[in-house]
Amino acid sequence: MLELRDLVCRYGKVTAVKGLSLKVERGQLVALIGTNGAGKTTTLKAISGLLPPSGGSIWFDGVDITRASARKILSLGIAQCPEGRHVFPYMTVTENLEMGCYLRTDKQEIAADFERMFEQFPRLAERRLQPAGTLSGGEQQMLAIARALMSRPKLMLFDEPSLGLAPNFVERTFDIITNIRANGTTVLMVEQNALAALEMCDHAYLLESGSLALSGSGAELIDNPHVRSAYLAG
Amino acid sequence: MDQLLQHLLNATILGGTYALLGIGLTLIFGIMRVVNFTHGELYAFGAYCMYALVMPLGLNFFMALVVAMALGALLGATIELLLLSRLRGADIDTTMLVMIGAWIALQNAEQLAWTGVALSINNPFPSEPLIVGPLSVSWNRVYVFFVALLLILGTYYLINRTHLGKAMRATFQDRDTAALMGIRIDRIHTATFALGSALAAAAGALLGPVFVVAPTMGDLAAAKAFAIVILGGLGNIKGATLGGFILAFVEELGAGYISSGYRDAMGFLLIILILLFRPTGLFAQKERVG
Ligand SMILES: Nc1ncnc2c1ncn2[C@@H]1O[C@H](COP(=O)(O)OP(=O)(O)OP(=O)(O)O)[C@@H](O)[C@H]1O
Ligand SMILES: [Mg+2]
Repeated sequence: MLELRDLVCRYGKVTAVKGLSLKVERGQLVALIGTNGAGKTTTLKAISGLLPPSGGSIWFDGVDITRASARKILSLGIAQCPEGRHVFPYMTVTENLEMGCYLRTDKQEIAADFERMFEQFPRLAERRLQPAGTLSGGEQQMLAIARALMSRPKLMLFDEPSLGLAPNFVERTFDIITNIRANGTTVLMVEQNALAALEMCDHAYLLESGSLALSGSGAELIDNPHVRSAYLAG
Repeated sequence: MDQLLQHLLNATILGGTYALLGIGLTLIFGIMRVVNFTHGELYAFGAYCMYALVMPLGLNFFMALVVAMALGALLGATIELLLLSRLRGADIDTTMLVMIGAWIALQNAEQLAWTGVALSINNPFPSEPLIVGPLSVSWNRVYVFFVALLLILGTYYLINRTHLGKAMRATFQDRDTAALMGIRIDRIHTATFALGSALAAAAGALLGPVFVVAPTMGDLAAAKAFAIVILGGLGNIKGATLGGFILAFVEELGAGYISSGYRDAMGFLLIILILLFRPTGLFAQKERVG
């Protein structure tokens, strides 16, 4: 479904991603793990069209999206729930969700999706007219996920969904992601919490300083001595 | 007492156009982070369009306002596409210098096109003022006030309720995330600059027939617009609206009771005081746009 071939991304002189190749098959939940600064966020930005790659190519459903605009990529079916949530702080919960379906024109279906989101996230329903910036971190994460779902994506990109959340919200977030996949949406998830990510994924990639260090099933990576000592210690 | 009431009425009426002028400028700053030095020239441009459309071309006075606004939006969009779109990500100093250049170029172009002679525009209103008790006001000013009010309300509606307005606010609050939503950031920039320019042109087209039209009219308007925006807090639309009215009241009462020769200085005195004591503006708040 998604394929990166020798992806290279630079910020000025800094090369953040150095020839990364990976594949996400339809229906899978794929994890991308690695330390701080490994280039995970950069990779997701490149996929979403926020950062034009300096080399390599990105393919989605057989279409070359390497240089496509963020809008085009979203309309093809890739949505992202960005690192640090990034809700629009001065817009209400409802307005944030409206932004999530900015490109859609099917009014009735949109109304139905609003109902569904509010059913699934009752806390958001209670706060629908509240500015998103006044929500708690966990609620903002729910909103960011709901907002991304409002575009009805085929592939969801999650960037560190558990970052900075209280333990009960961490679990809740992983449950939601598992659910999203169970409902037929493919997921590519970047996560610092390597153990949780490896346990829930079908396939995982380990990124170290911009290059692929390892790949395999979640179980294979959990058993790998290097992964055990560097990422799962303690 | 009657005199005071008259001053307050004059101030309210003037405040409407000041608010319009301020909103256009603050919108562009809030969303685009561009200090728009061409704002005053768009004001002058609006007034000149009004002149050209009504006087030599004989277009209907009310239609001419609509056309002048549309032309203002067009000129704004052109400036944005020609100059600002190439400067995305450039630092604010570079953008400021380019905008100062555009300001000078526009002013001279206006002078070239319409000469330096002040021009006046006929209006279709009765020459007798409207008299209510002890108060009197020209019909043209009443018209200006209500149109300004309508445009201000329209702008609020646009920013807060429409698809485009929400996309503008989202872009201002979080650019990259707005792009993730499928919002075309470039178009939002162009639309915002065009909207701000149309509002400036509207203010010029409204006030042109009240005063006279001259190539330097934009300078004072720009200075006042900046004063209003500073009063209200940069990027704050509600603040700019209130700032417009406050500036008008200070000017009108200052001219009426202190010295009429210092009318235009009153506002700047106020700005100096505010910058000394409340540098973030009178109505500083976290939310800037909307
Ligand atoms: N806007 C930027 N300008 C310059 N360098 C950047 C920028 N963003 C990231 N980098 C650099 O690129 C490298 C990869 O960053 P990236 O954000 O992709 O890492 P990450 O794997 O997501 O890390 P984290 O786990 O901390 O989120 C880092 O060395 C970082 O310093
Ligand atoms: Mg990151």
